[in-house]
Amino acid sequence: MKILVAVKQVAALDEDFEFRADELDVDEDFLLYDLNEWDDFSLEEAMRIKEASDSEVEVVVVSVGPDRVDESLRKCLAKGADRAIRVWDDAMEGSDSITVGRILAAVAKKESPDMFFAGVQSSDQANASTGISTAAYLEWPHAAVVAGLEYSPGAGKAVIRRELEGGTLQEVEIACPSVLTIQLGINKPRYASLRGIKQAAAKPIEEVSLDDIGLSPSDVGADCALSRVRRMYVPAKGRAAMIEGTPTEQAARLVEIIKEFKGE
Amino acid sequence: MKLALNAGDPWSAAAVYDIAAGPEKWQLEALMFGSRRNALMLARWEHTPAEVLQGLAASGEFALRMRLDRNAGTGALALSQLYRGERNAVLIGLIAQHRHTPEEVLEQIAEIDEDMAILKALSTNPAASERVLRTLAARMPGMFDSAIATHPATPPDMLETLYPASNAFIRAAIVSHAHCPVHVLERAAEEQDPTVLRHLAASTRIAPAVLVRLARSPDAAVRRAAAANPALAPALLLELVRDASSAVRRAVATRDDLPLAAIEALAADPDHWVRQWIARQPATPQRLLKRLAQEDNVEVRRAVARNPACPRALLKLLAADKSAWVRAAVAYQPRATATLLQTLAEDGDVDVLSGVASNPKSPQNILRRLAQSAEADVRRGVILNPSATRRTLQPLLQDPYYLHRLLLTGNAVLKDKDKWPLHDDPDDTVRFSAMRWFAGKQRQDLVTHKAS
Repeated sequence: MKILVAVKQVAALDEDFEFRADELDVDEDFLLYDLNEWDDFSLEEAMRIKEASDSEVEVVVVSVGPDRVDESLRKCLAKGADRAIRVWDDAMEGSDSITVGRILAAVAKKESPDMFFAGVQSSDQANASTGISTAAYLEWPHAAVVAGLEYSPGAGKAVIRRELEGGTLQEVEIACPSVLTIQLGINKPRYASLRGIKQAAAKPIEEVSLDDIGLSPSDVGADCALSRVRRMYVPAKGRAAMIEGTPTEQAARLVEIIKEFKGE
Repeated sequence: MKLALNAGDPWSAAAVYDIAAGPEKWQLEALMFGSRRNALMLARWEHTPAEVLQGLAASGEFALRMRLDRNAGTGALALSQLYRGERNAVLIGLIAQHRHTPEEVLEQIAEIDEDMAILKALSTNPAASERVLRTLAARMPGMFDSAIATHPATPPDMLETLYPASNAFIRAAIVSHAHCPVHVLERAAEEQDPTVLRHLAASTRIAPAVLVRLARSPDAAVRRAAAANPALAPALLLELVRDASSAVRRAVATRDDLPLAAIEALAADPDHWVRQWIARQPATPQRLLKRLAQEDNVEVRRAVARNPACPRALLKLLAADKSAWVRAAVAYQPRATATLLQTLAEDGDVDVLSGVASNPKSPQNILRRLAQSAEADVRRGVILNPSATRRTLQPLLQDPYYLHRLLLTGNAVLKDKDKWPLHDDPDDTVRFSAMRWFAGKQRQDLVTHKAS
């Protein structure tokens, strides 16, 4: 039994960032890279299924990206993932989230997992579409924003709870294999042990090329993308005012403002 | 230093930079500042040592200068260097409000700068001198009154000059100022404005008769300030115990000089916050604590459990409370006995176990067990426990949570050989902190060697 977990190394903005000269993205020197927060929960969910199972469950993490992504994959290995796969080819540069879904689907076809987990969204791009597009390419059932999961390895169906508006949950039965996008808070992700980190440093990361998964350069990259970034910028600041004066004066003005907003 | 250089690790390099000299120092600089990404990271990081920030101050790059100007650790020399030749108003504003900016630079800004945003930033800088404030007031009268009225360096004569021409908020700030002249306080006592009177009622320098009048003010906020004033006479306290405003009674209940009659009256107050404060008072008699410990209100029972003078028998009773929040308070109690803590160590609640873990009275065998808890909060309790022995702490050096390992780098009970493996910890901050610890020891050794 195998669970494939898609993970992404996301970029967080450092303060006082600058844009690249082409204005299409932030200058890489101002970016801090880390594992996507949602993916931490996806991996933990897979690990819990593995640890609760009597039969053997293999947890495989997969990511699309350049060499630097290895750091995030090693973090997953340190937390207990059995294998890590990184897919990259320079032709993938500029791929949008739908194209990344195509690449992940190609990996899934090769790996034949029983379940495919992804985070609801990535914190840097927030498209919330990679997991769902993977399901579309695989032609598998899918469920988004999964906040609860009951699944026994090898079972033909799973019961999930989806988080909806107003704090409501929707309980859904879904056929397996399926693609689930996992929501924050579904579990409490573990920290990697020092032993796990040391062991992960020695584990190999499988590097997969386009050819290995049956795709060609014409299937990926900017030319294939259904959307493209035209410009990235910080919008002009909206209405804001500094409240000046002594602390008492500031507090009094703040009370006035709150009262104005409350219509008192 | 060799380890930092061999590992090519900018965090370790930053940790040992101040003990390096000659070619090794240059190599460390090349490692730290060679890549723009590392230089930007170090210029922003709140733990970067001042010497490293000083090393970056020669940079001409805007993004680096901005980070250095913003970094609270940037030292006086670096800020002087950054100010020289700086033309950008935003960056000058950051230098003007930096607490480490040298007095002469602040004075220069006060004298020559025209930008109002920069001068406002300067006027609120606690490091600004009396001379800076006088310069600002002279150059642009009335523009910085709020800042001057609240600034710790403002001299009495400036406050006195400011008082008559100011609005009530500024007058209130002047009344609260430590340098406010007594005759200004006397003048304020004649005021009708409640904001001024509220601040005046909190002053310990006003005449007893004025305080009596303010304690009987029709304004509850003024009475509340008087109720918290340490100079208030005991007779007035007894009056305020029966005040119609719960805010006033709460202020009375927080005092540590309450006569028994006041404690007895407040222990039966309808407001649970008042009873809670009384339950925390070490002077509250045992019979009252016993009564408060039987209240329905959880916070009041918890306050009894937190009382520094809570009798052991009552702690034993509260250790079996139905609320984990109350049991947790017992677990944190310095008066809790080892036997009681042993009982609480069997509790299933994480707050209770965290209390046991951090209590210096907890036996080591209990701490060793809690050091293996799956809950990070409980393990952290053991790390922060001043009684935890080396043997108890040693396994926690392998804790998966980086913050726990970081805390242990500065632990005095652990030996250097225990901490040494942390020098190549996978976490950047732990590695930095461990290397900084060892660099500090080497620095100390050098000082001792020179002295001898």
